[in-house]
Amino acid sequence: MKRSLILSLLVSTAVAAEPDAMKFFENEVRPLLAKRCFDCHGEKKQKGGLRVDHIGYLKTGGDTGPAIVPGEPEKSPLIEAVRYKNEDFQMPPKEKLSDAEIAVLEKWVKLGAPWPESGSKVVVTEGGFTEEQRKWWAFQPLAKVAPPQVASAWVRGDIDRFVAKMHTELKLDPAPEADAHELVRRAYFDMHGLPPTPAEIEAFVNDKSPQAYEKLIDSLLASPRYGERWAQHWLDLVRYAESDGYNQDAYRASVWPYRDWVIKSLNDDKPYDQFVREQLAGDEIAPNDPNVLIATSYLRNPLYEYNQRDVAGQWDIIVTDMTDTSGELFLGLSFGCARCHNHKFDPILQKDYFRLRAFFEPVLWRDDLKLGTAEEKARFAEQQSAWEAATASIRAEMDAITAPIMAGKAKSAIKKFNDDLQAMINKPTAERAPLEKQLVVICDRQIRLEQEKADVMKSLKAEDAKKRYAELEAELKKFDSLKPKPLMEAFVATDVGPKAPATKLKTRKGDQEIAPGFLTLLEPKEPEIKPLGDSTGRRSALANWVTRPDNQLSTRVIVNRVWQYHFGRGLVATASDFGKLGEPPTHPELLDWMARRFVAEGWSLKKLHKEIMLSAAYRQTARRQASEIAAKIDPTNRYLWRFNPRRLDAEQVRDAMLAASGELDLKAGGPSEDGNSARRSIYTMKKRNNQTEILRALDAPAGFSSTAERQSTTTPTQALLLVNGDWPLQRARKLASRAESIDDVWTYALGRPPTVGERATAEAFLKKRAGTTAPRPTNGELLAGSGDFKENTPQERLLVQAPEKEGEEFTVEAIVRLESIDVNAAVRTIASRWNGGKDSVEAFGWSLGVTGEKSRFKPRNLIVQLVGEDENANIAYEAVPSNLRLELGRRYHVAARVSLAEHSVSFLVQDLSEPGAPVQTAVAPTVVRSKLGGGASSLVIGGLSKRSPAHQWDGRIEAARIASGKLPDEALSTEPEKWKAGFVNWTSSVGPSQQFAWSGVDAKAVEDAEPFRQAMNDLCQVLLNANEFFYLH
Amino acid sequence: MSCNHFDHPTSRREFLQRAGCGFGAVALAALTREPALGATFPLSSAAAKLPHRAAQAKNVIFLFMEGGPSHLDTFDYKPLLNQLAGQPLPASFKPPITAMGETKSPLLECKRTWKQRGQSGLWVSDWFERVAEHADDLAVIRSCASDGINHAGGVCQMNTGSVFGGRPSLGAWVSYGLGTENGNLPGFVVIKDSEGTVVNGVRNWGAGFMPAVYQGVEFNSDGVPIKYLDNPKGVTAERQRDKLDLLSSLNREYGRTRADNTELEARIRGYELAYRMQSEAPEAVDLSKESAATKQLYGMDHEETAVFGRNCLLARRLVENGVRFVQLYSGAGSKWDAHKGIEANHGKLCRAVDHPIAGLLSDLKSRGLLDETLVIWGGEFGRTPMSEQGDGRDHNPTGFTMWMAGGGVRGGQTIGSTDELGLYAVEDKMHVHDLHATILHLLGVDHTKLIYPHKGRPERIDLNEGHANVKMTA
Repeated sequence: MKRSLILSLLVSTAVAAEPDAMKFFENEVRPLLAKRCFDCHGEKKQKGGLRVDHIGYLKTGGDTGPAIVPGEPEKSPLIEAVRYKNEDFQMPPKEKLSDAEIAVLEKWVKLGAPWPESGSKVVVTEGGFTEEQRKWWAFQPLAKVAPPQVASAWVRGDIDRFVAKMHTELKLDPAPEADAHELVRRAYFDMHGLPPTPAEIEAFVNDKSPQAYEKLIDSLLASPRYGERWAQHWLDLVRYAESDGYNQDAYRASVWPYRDWVIKSLNDDKPYDQFVREQLAGDEIAPNDPNVLIATSYLRNPLYEYNQRDVAGQWDIIVTDMTDTSGELFLGLSFGCARCHNHKFDPILQKDYFRLRAFFEPVLWRDDLKLGTAEEKARFAEQQSAWEAATASIRAEMDAITAPIMAGKAKSAIKKFNDDLQAMINKPTAERAPLEKQLVVICDRQIRLEQEKADVMKSLKAEDAKKRYAELEAELKKFDSLKPKPLMEAFVATDVGPKAPATKLKTRKGDQEIAPGFLTLLEPKEPEIKPLGDSTGRRSALANWVTRPDNQLSTRVIVNRVWQYHFGRGLVATASDFGKLGEPPTHPELLDWMARRFVAEGWSLKKLHKEIMLSAAYRQTARRQASEIAAKIDPTNRYLWRFNPRRLDAEQVRDAMLAASGELDLKAGGPSEDGNSARRSIYTMKKRNNQTEILRALDAPAGFSSTAERQSTTTPTQALLLVNGDWPLQRARKLASRAESIDDVWTYALGRPPTVGERATAEAFLKKRAGTTAPRPTNGELLAGSGDFKENTPQERLLVQAPEKEGEEFTVEAIVRLESIDVNAAVRTIASRWNGGKDSVEAFGWSLGVTGEKSRFKPRNLIVQLVGEDENANIAYEAVPSNLRLELGRRYHVAARVSLAEHSVSFLVQDLSEPGAPVQTAVAPTVVRSKLGGGASSLVIGGLSKRSPAHQWDGRIEAARIASGKLPDEALSTEPEKWKAGFVNWTSSVGPSQQFAWSGVDAKAVEDAEPFRQAMNDLCQVLLNANEFFYLH
Repeated sequence: MSCNHFDHPTSRREFLQRAGCGFGAVALAALTREPALGATFPLSSAAAKLPHRAAQAKNVIFLFMEGGPSHLDTFDYKPLLNQLAGQPLPASFKPPITAMGETKSPLLECKRTWKQRGQSGLWVSDWFERVAEHADDLAVIRSCASDGINHAGGVCQMNTGSVFGGRPSLGAWVSYGLGTENGNLPGFVVIKDSEGTVVNGVRNWGAGFMPAVYQGVEFNSDGVPIKYLDNPKGVTAERQRDKLDLLSSLNREYGRTRADNTELEARIRGYELAYRMQSEAPEAVDLSKESAATKQLYGMDHEETAVFGRNCLLARRLVENGVRFVQLYSGAGSKWDAHKGIEANHGKLCRAVDHPIAGLLSDLKSRGLLDETLVIWGGEFGRTPMSEQGDGRDHNPTGFTMWMAGGGVRGGQTIGSTDELGLYAVEDKMHVHDLHATILHLLGVDHTKLIYPHKGRPERIDLNEGHANVKMTA
């Protein structure tokens, strides 16, 4: 901070306090101001950022600058306003002052605006900051402090000296050290977000060497699981998500490399300053290094609406979002508050907000870059040009055919923009101003989208053109083997060019252009910024300032965040707000000491983790009741008289459930998978509008704004999900199936054997549950023929145990006879893997059946229903009718071949009651693109996975089979005995077996037949819901 | 704009963790029957600090016509529109930005018949003939305005105040401010008229940056009302009870030596409340006890009106059962979005809701509930006077109509106006922020005092920009 630039100026000294002038002021001026101005410009409100209840405020002024110039009424905006001469600038707004009143104010200003010295409470320095603001702790340079000398045997490291000092001052005492079990569980969840395995617990608990704990920390830090856990914290802060966030919520298929970059950076212990610089300005630092460029994906995290015609408005929101987020993320200040006026509590001028914004003003969202090293790109270019050369004439002819169609699409897309934007789009590129370039890029996306949606074959009118185009397509396809594997799309940003668009602060008196700069309070001077290549160099300048070793804000902010994630609470409890509405640090000296040390140690996060985790403060037990004095003066444990008990966060719970059930898939990196998979939560899809249910229920943020601290809520609907939801239930079943004893259940779920009492409780539970329901045979009394399906009989549906899943390309074939259809619109089901739901990931699946009376596809239509994801990875339900109809009471051969890859379902129906009846076929398109097999349902013949009489088959299903892949016509047959392929192959003459079990009113599900299994499932579910499972306490 | 009206807040953490009450205290408080307003423990959702202005409205039923109903064909009569039909928008109008970009298309005539209704002579079109019978109960706000050109922004702003996600929904603010009256039911319930997904999905009734206790819970109008309310397949009531008893006993043992962690107790209670909800929620939505006459009143006996009628009747029952805020969606999935063929589109939807809404107003009135229940009608925006694709209308966020009834609102009045063609709100403009402020005002809450501290900012429903319109009750 350059003190010399800041002239502390006691405003009151500027005024000659002559008695007459004072009298005039007190009798005429002050009452007038109080009566007509204070309401909007006083202690309570400061419209336009202005207060007029003290001369200091008047001179400093509001958003538009000083309100008066003493001695010069003509230059004083206050006078201009009350005169009502300028139409846009009239005060008071509702009623003009009388001429006499205006004269009073003019006279007062002319006199030099005298204001009595007494009663002057506020001292305003130049720049408009009060001394109090300047002295705010967060703006002070990092103090050079030595760890205090304390005589305490408790102290293990320097951190503890600071903590112990506060203990002594407050007469608090630290908690005993946590035992090995508590410690190992804490350390694993903290560093890896996972519970330790039973073997890991045992290894640590049995290692009696004095270095055991340090060795544990070292091994935790060395594991790739560390980056996966701590990346989650960073992703919360940068509001990472994998979708656009508005209604379409389009999936961002190429954003995941950024997530992997964060994980890898942490695992590599990349110095934090470099970590920050690459995210803010990776494109300027190393534009050709894909491992650096990808970091600028940080600038792509804002939301985006694909069809927003107010392009300028949307871009403004995007830049605003980057500014607000960066301010709180890196600097710990609520910059957003200063967008419309000077910050009400912190010394952040409105101008400072726009100075920060100016760094981001030139950002350009790029859709044209690829991730790849120079070699990879060269290899790609070489292969690509080979393919291009080989296909040049084909493509040229195709382009000639499509050109008018594409031009037409572009034209109609452009017409939808307003005149200003159309003018920009129609300008030659070179003539576009920087802002115009930015906006045209967004317009282009909309235009391109229209073109991509174009169906050339449909657009072509002439038959011969259609034919020719199809031929060319086929011809082009032949060269696919020459085509190189596409490079990964780069979801990154750069600048629009070396010249930035103007950053404008809109004021009542017009726009003011603002240059990039830092907080005026700390750095009033504008930084010198030189263009870097084709970039303005602005973000590099910002990055360099943020990562300056003596930046008191950014260094304290990151050290405090790390502390917060370890302890559950920061030394500054409001980790993204170091301002006046936040909380001051509990241990300011410790904070500064750690920040300095962190920088001195090369900005190493891993060293910081180790230092913290080795401290006695971290090793305290959480299992301690507040002492009398602690309860009185520090009930919330701000001064660390124990470790904070914590609930696991959403990802920890989900991952721990998978770990307990033995399913956890530790594959690292790559594209995300849906929340039903066994991958770690960090590798599950983060759709802003459609979060994984269990993560959402446990307070995972949706990625709309930076999250510095997770909520930890408890609601009855959360309990309903955990007790009745499919996903948690499945985990309990899996846990039950791997546990061979009660001891196993405890060990897998909680990492310890049960106590004697717990074992007795569990045994009593199993005995009660397994004893009350006598085992039943899986098959009730069957109907006459085992191919008959009828509601309210034991033979309602046939549950299938399938060895594999049919995937996204499969064939269902059956010989059926239908006796009735539903009186409403429900579909009588031949086969399904579906629970009948339409809008959750559990519902992913399909069914084949026949429509009811009131169906919008008309009755008796053979139909496939699909629930999966569409091309935007949104959940999509789709009914795909064949428009082939089945008569009641007749025997049919039916087949449906689903192929998501080909976006179609092909149907076949043949009436077998009438010899020689023709084979009818139909093909229908689909919009569902993936995830058919991702749901929670198992295969069922004659109904859905949950009982629903309206959806059940009524009649016979003589035979049915399900095979992977699209079987060719010749593989289909009206004689089931000839069916070869197919992993499910049911024939009524064979009847139920291990693979097929009836479900009906009298027959219980397989699970019910085994009370012991059922009771074990329940026991496991209870443990996965237990407070001990959810808490580190 | 002004960001000054607030009490200097203690931090969120402070009020959540006061005197040994962990976060669980808040959850617990919000879960129990005790209304947060005037609660005895030191929770307080802003409640303790709120002024206790006596207000008539205690509950809200928000009838959300999703997709944007045309004000020009329902409640905002514009004779000039038909005079100029077929011509382009006069040059004297500022050119608007519209979602589909057909700003230069000719003006589209309104084919409705208009009448002045009730003592007050309120203009209502024949699409809302039954609602018009309640004209003297309606305060029609003709000068609404929003920032969302598209559905995503519009629906999000109407629900949360902001065009993009991440903020709490109005229902969450109301639950936070007033607490709940029945802990066995959620304080904020949402019911849709179809399986269609409301634009932006469930986050429309999310709690944003507030704890999840305040979020809206979606009820199915038929069958099992809440997701996962039923025991898992094949699990008997006895088995469920045994499971929960075992859980409770393990949790109590765990909590015995950790009594100071109130979150643990809150989780125990959470499971118990979930169990009670399993029996109470189905009762609340059980319409079998309603008379045939009542069902008729709501139009449940006609196919066209049966679905929305049923939802309106459910709304009344939920409000009676202590649910604070009920939101009903008509046309879930932007079905009111009549870019073309507005006659057929709106004709059908209006027929589906007119009778049920009239029935709801009659029923609330006859039960003496209308005085304490604020009924709100509207969508995320209105529609343009210009045509689109010949016979449709595009989105119009710059001027549209909503109405309120009950809850102390003075009926039979209009507030504000649009220009002569209904394109821009010109008089007494009520931005969505003002609507939200006004709704809180009607509930007795000063919207400038209902603060949620978040990341250093004292957050309000109106983003510090709204003004309550006190004319509503005057």
